[in-house]
Amino acid sequence: MSEVMKKNDTNLTQYRPATDILEREDGFYIYMDLPGVAKDALVIDLQEDELTVTGTTSYDLPEGETFTEMQFGNGQYRRTVSLSDIVDRERIRANLKNGVLELFLPRVEKTQPKRIQISQG
Amino acid sequence: MVLDFNTLYSPFDRFDKLFEDFLRPGFGGQRRLTYPPLNLSQDQDNIVVRAEIPGVDIEDIELTLTDKTLVIKGERKAEEGKYYRQERPAGVFHRVINLHVPVDRERVGASMKDGMLTVTLPKTEEVKPRTISIEAE
Repeated sequence: MSEVMKKNDTNLTQYRPATDILEREDGFYIYMDLPGVAKDALVIDLQEDELTVTGTTSYDLPEGETFTEMQFGNGQYRRTVSLSDIVDRERIRANLKNGVLELFLPRVEKTQPKRIQISQG
Repeated sequence: MVLDFNTLYSPFDRFDKLFEDFLRPGFGGQRRLTYPPLNLSQDQDNIVVRAEIPGVDIEDIELTLTDKTLVIKGERKAEEGKYYRQERPAGVFHRVINLHVPVDRERVGASMKDGMLTVTLPKTEEVKPRTISIEAE
């Protein structure tokens, strides 16, 4: 089975969360809107260069309540971001607050230019 | 969708991604026209308004209740920095909800959790359904 099929085998409606990606002096920041996703229902996977965020919402109506109007519902948020080589993968930080996931992707410390010695044979 | 953020990538993966985005329900067709999206529900005692407003503190949301409407007002501020991609709506939002039944304004409650605002509006006593006992002669 292809990777695409595997990803869609859930019954939940999939949404792409609205995402901001921006750069500040210390590195890159990603903000994702994940309303209704609790910390336990959020998974962040880093596989090689791909960072995948998956979150599920559970908006079950309390007993006895009926909908008059419904503009959002249960679903799964999923989004993949490719990371560039200048991101320090070991120091990525994530923080979920008020339904917004903040990812901080620090830059790799600058490597010093190195002179390569040539040996004479 | 993937950000062009990588210097090395496989073009085959890229094609897969494109395909995947295209197949996904909720992409395109179901775009939200209004912000924030609302769910209205009710039970015997209350009308409940729920809205997805991620990233805003409850202190920064202004709720106004008039005779027939509930107004939700607030502002989402954009983050500071050099943007590569900006999809999250920013700016002032404003939604008016018509209330079809009178509510008890003294007991209105609002809470915020995981970016979801819940406003509970208790119905006034007069409009609650009640059973009328019929006395048989």
